Amino acid sequence: MEKALEAKVEPEVILGWIEKIGGDSSSTVPLLQAVQSEYGYLPREAMDLIIQNSDITGSQAYGVATFYSQFRLKPVGRHIIRICHGTACHVSGADRLKTSLRHILNISDEEQDTAENGSYTIEEVACIGCCSQAPVMVVSEDVLGNLSGAAAQRALKKHARQNDEIVTNIL
Amino acid sequence: MDADNLNVIVGEGTCGIAAGSKEVIDAFRKYDPEINIRTVGCVGMCHQEVITEINDNNGNRFLYGQVTKQVVPKIIRYHMGEGNLPKDHLIFSPEEQSSDKWQYLGNQTRIALRNVGLMDPASISDYQQRDGYKAIKKVIEDMTPEQVIGEVEASHLRGRGGAGFPTHLKWNFARQSEGDIKYLICNGDEGDPGAFMDRSLLEGDPHNIIEGMLIAAYAIGSSMGYAYIRAEYPLAVKNFGKAIADAHEQNILGKNILGSDFSFDIKIKEGAGAFVCGEETALIASIEGERGMPRFKPPFPAIKGLFGKPTIINNVETLANLPWIISNGGAAYAAYGTEDSKGTKVFALAGAIKKGGLVEVPMGTKIRDVLESIGGGSSSGKPLKAVQLGGPSGGCIPEKLFDTTIEYAAINATGAIMGSGGMIVMDETTCMVDLARYFLSFTQQESCGKCTFCRIGTLRMKELLTKICDGNAVMGDLDALDELTEQIKKASLCGLGQTAPNPVATTLKYFRNEYEAHIKDKRCPAAVCKSLITHTIIPDTCTGCSLCDIQCPVDAITGQKKVKGSYSIDQAKCINCGMCFEVCNSKAIVVE
Ligand SMILES: Cc1cc2nc3c(=O)[nH]c(=O)nc-3n(C[C@H](O)[C@H](O)[C@H](O)COP(=O)(O)O)c2cc1C
Ligand code: FES
Repeated sequence: MEKALEAKVEPEVILGWIEKIGGDSSSTVPLLQAVQSEYGYLPREAMDLIIQNSDITGSQAYGVATFYSQFRLKPVGRHIIRICHGTACHVSGADRLKTSLRHILNISDEEQDTAENGSYTIEEVACIGCCSQAPVMVVSEDVLGNLSGAAAQRALKKHARQNDEIVTNIL
Repeated sequence: MDADNLNVIVGEGTCGIAAGSKEVIDAFRKYDPEINIRTVGCVGMCHQEVITEINDNNGNRFLYGQVTKQVVPKIIRYHMGEGNLPKDHLIFSPEEQSSDKWQYLGNQTRIALRNVGLMDPASISDYQQRDGYKAIKKVIEDMTPEQVIGEVEASHLRGRGGAGFPTHLKWNFARQSEGDIKYLICNGDEGDPGAFMDRSLLEGDPHNIIEGMLIAAYAIGSSMGYAYIRAEYPLAVKNFGKAIADAHEQNILGKNILGSDFSFDIKIKEGAGAFVCGEETALIASIEGERGMPRFKPPFPAIKGLFGKPTIINNVETLANLPWIISNGGAAYAAYGTEDSKGTKVFALAGAIKKGGLVEVPMGTKIRDVLESIGGGSSSGKPLKAVQLGGPSGGCIPEKLFDTTIEYAAINATGAIMGSGGMIVMDETTCMVDLARYFLSFTQQESCGKCTFCRIGTLRMKELLTKICDGNAVMGDLDALDELTEQIKKASLCGLGQTAPNPVATTLKYFRNEYEAHIKDKRCPAAVCKSLITHTIIPDTCTGCSLCDIQCPVDAITGQKKVKGSYSIDQAKCINCGMCFEVCNSKAIVVE
């Protein structure tokens, strides 16, 4: 499944960013951020292109990519669900959001975070700063608060309908 | 009256959006596509979101809370003279200035937050109308850098980022250190997972932060600044970026500001999700493009910081106070607070509290007053058990110490820290051992790995806490936790490791009985720890609605639809996720 989700990297795009953002070592984080916001993750080819065409070394690029939790090296689904795991959300039942969404997306393997049909990826993030609406999640760009497990499922199903996605375990 | 005569103002901070501000705006537009709508940042009454203000053409202000698309028509009809006042939603009006809801703001003293929610963050002229950029004008025209530092010294302002270091002292080091170029960094990393005051400031009053940076830059002699904003705050990045551009246009940023020979510019650096990057030296490494690892101090950044140059790092809230201090004088700021701690402090109130949101109070206020007079007490009606202050570096203060005053020394004496201002309120449904484990897994994950005790010690602590939560621990494990606490504190390089054991130390000190219940009785008093609880269905109460069966992710529930009392849980399959409990409308499921 992961193979199928792999992004097609166009070298001109990456080279354009190096041109625009810079190729010195202090550009490492912004460059990787640009790649990730385009592809949702850091594709191997994009990393290679950066290393070959800038002053950034392989150990620096991968050192940074593995240090910061924002970056991921695995492909993602077409949409991303971010579940907040900050303190307020933790004590208000963030765990249940995760269980309930993994359930309707039929993700059971502990190692997996993406639905088999490539529709959604569930990520855990630190506080998104809406703690008084805990528990909170972000679907694509929409911040949703005061959720229960069931409300999170309803929100996901609505999103899926609007985006022509299929949520596998439809209830 | 025509709806065109109304000015509608909708709160659109991240929390307003989370509560559905977009739908509310759509509902107004649906009613009248031409209606005059503006958006403002978060006023900090998060429990009242979506908040909507109506200004009628007589200059009267009406503030409504918990507005939904269903409430919008009622509001419009009332203001068009066609219906009754939607009283349940009214927070404030010319006639109603003492409502319970309004007390939330009425009981606060707002200096850092003075503008948030009251103006459009995207409008520089809104800020200027509220006396914005007058302080920097005064500084440039009438004050020497030494006088600026003197004013801040008189205010007794201490850094609001957690450590509480006197701001003027730090500035003096940087002012005096030699260097052709000096940097100023605004620390907007806000790493405490439960604090959001810096987000609200950056989103809701970005020009105030820019003005604070300008004042600091003038004082230390810096011409280049960075605003380091965490990755999880896209709206803050957007609003702050727009504010920088607008300030440029008016020559408030850039070369020869306001015609003087003072020049200063700001670049935004987005964080990439690492708690340790809130620490100054790690933050500097991160801007330089490295892994964000702290380094040994000295040399302090004020002497040798970003790209080897003298660098001052100030927290967002610290900077937010500066324009007010310059305009009103340091003494006016110092008039608030206590001998030990002057001025005001912002807290982000969340958790089991009726009115969560942003609270700014004078130092010296009792914790109890914040929770009760402003926060309105417990949201569940169950008694409050503790508050957590300072996040992963802080600790839990039990109910019996709620009369502690908010000042650096008094809070430290409890074992917690002032921290950046996250205040998570807990009732008896929070398990203190689980909470301690939560924080330790956080710090363990966020440890950069440089120091052995921080890297491995936090892992050992997390393992011990997991053992306790699972009911597999022995009493000796508590001694091991004590021992690790001491070792990690002593042997870590930066604040992350030095404070990581605090959540464990304070819960062990005040809630030892909960630890003992897990170990000796294999029982979780708050019914949280999954290995120690069971979910069962009371047949007499079960209506046979089948909701629990549908929701169970592991098919542990069986029964016959529409047959009362027929459902039961297979304990061998049950993972105690709590979904059935949550969806059961007839309270037929018990957790013990
Ligand atoms: C692990 C760690 C994380 C920190 N995170 C933050 C943060 O998110 N925001 C912040 O302003 N300060 C943070 N600090 C404190 C900063 O190192 C620094 O003291 C502060 O930004 C200085 O600004 P101030 O003097 O205005 O408070 C952190 C410190 C440590 C050790
Ligand atoms: S803890 Fe989840 S939004 Fe802050």
